[in-house]
Amino acid sequence: MVLHAETLLQDLIERTRKHINEAEKFKSLPTETLNWRVANDSWSILECFEHLNLYGDFYIPELKKRMESSKTQPKENFKSGVLGNYFAKSMLPKEKLNKMKTFKDKNPIGSTLDKTTMNRFIAQQEKILNLLDKSRAVDLNKIKTAISISKLIKLRIGDTFRVVVYHNERHILQANNVLNSKMPAPKQLN
Amino acid sequence: MNPITNFIAKIDQQNLWEKQLVVNRKEFLKVKGSVDTNLYFVVSGSLRIYALDDYEESIIRFGYKNNFIAALDSFISEKPSDLYIQAIKKTVVRVINKTTFIAFVESSPANTKIWNTLLENLIFQQMERERDILTSSPLERYKRVLARSPQLFQEIPNKYIASYLRMTPETLSRIKKS
Repeated sequence: MVLHAETLLQDLIERTRKHINEAEKFKSLPTETLNWRVANDSWSILECFEHLNLYGDFYIPELKKRMESSKTQPKENFKSGVLGNYFAKSMLPKEKLNKMKTFKDKNPIGSTLDKTTMNRFIAQQEKILNLLDKSRAVDLNKIKTAISISKLIKLRIGDTFRVVVYHNERHILQANNVLNSKMPAPKQLN
Repeated sequence: MNPITNFIAKIDQQNLWEKQLVVNRKEFLKVKGSVDTNLYFVVSGSLRIYALDDYEESIIRFGYKNNFIAALDSFISEKPSDLYIQAIKKTVVRVINKTTFIAFVESSPANTKIWNTLLENLIFQQMERERDILTSSPLERYKRVLARSPQLFQEIPNKYIASYLRMTPETLSRIKKS
């Protein structure tokens, strides 16, 4: 799959803008709502965001390091890799949010969380915006990054950005589902 | 009726607004790296336009009720820009895209004239702002901005005014007391 690099970046930036706005919305809710869970083995809203933070802790420094050490030149297009495209697309939520397995070290369930989780998430998104902005100066095809789930696989950095941003999208939708099951939508949330 | 009110009324009449948006406190209309060629008209609330480097935020401009605001660099160049536009409090804006807006401006000499007046005002304001930034004394910077836009001090929290004035909130509070 070939994408126009700038179009891809604009899409990822726009998604990230919406993610920050969603996070600000959640941050304004009472901590009690944020800690509420549908069932005792399912995640609270804060746990959804903490899960994203744990991934951010891995990917943000990795993306930064790979870009900083790169001497590549930007290309007009980004050609998604077979695996990278597969991972990225599997992250995007389907119409009805499908369940996925979580790796143990990225499962926040049962942790004690407060609004610092939200602040951490928002700060991470600002870093992602910076990285997306800086990625205009490099080749999204040539730079490879490690991924958190396997030491054997590396992805093209353009795909890694997609994985990270789409993964955020997935769990923000999950957080909204938690919110809606707590409060059967008295008014529309945006 | 002042020119801008007249201008807005015409855009209303011709139904040129693409949409009306509610932006809650701290939510973003635009973030770093994006292209945004929309022009926003503030119906209520207030916003700030700022740049963020690795260390600090620099506030470039505020938008209040009845102002037009835009990420002007991106609006003009149609390229990505570093600016953030964030609501300071719950804000309602009307959105018009550049293509529609330019067509509107060019549709009559009267509209073109108003737009030119607005641009002239903007250039004037930008020069004033440049002078602010070149003024080394924090007290003088404060006096200049207070004289020019007393409304700022009514509408905007101190921490943002301090950033706009390039001083710490503590310095601003000291200056205000003295």
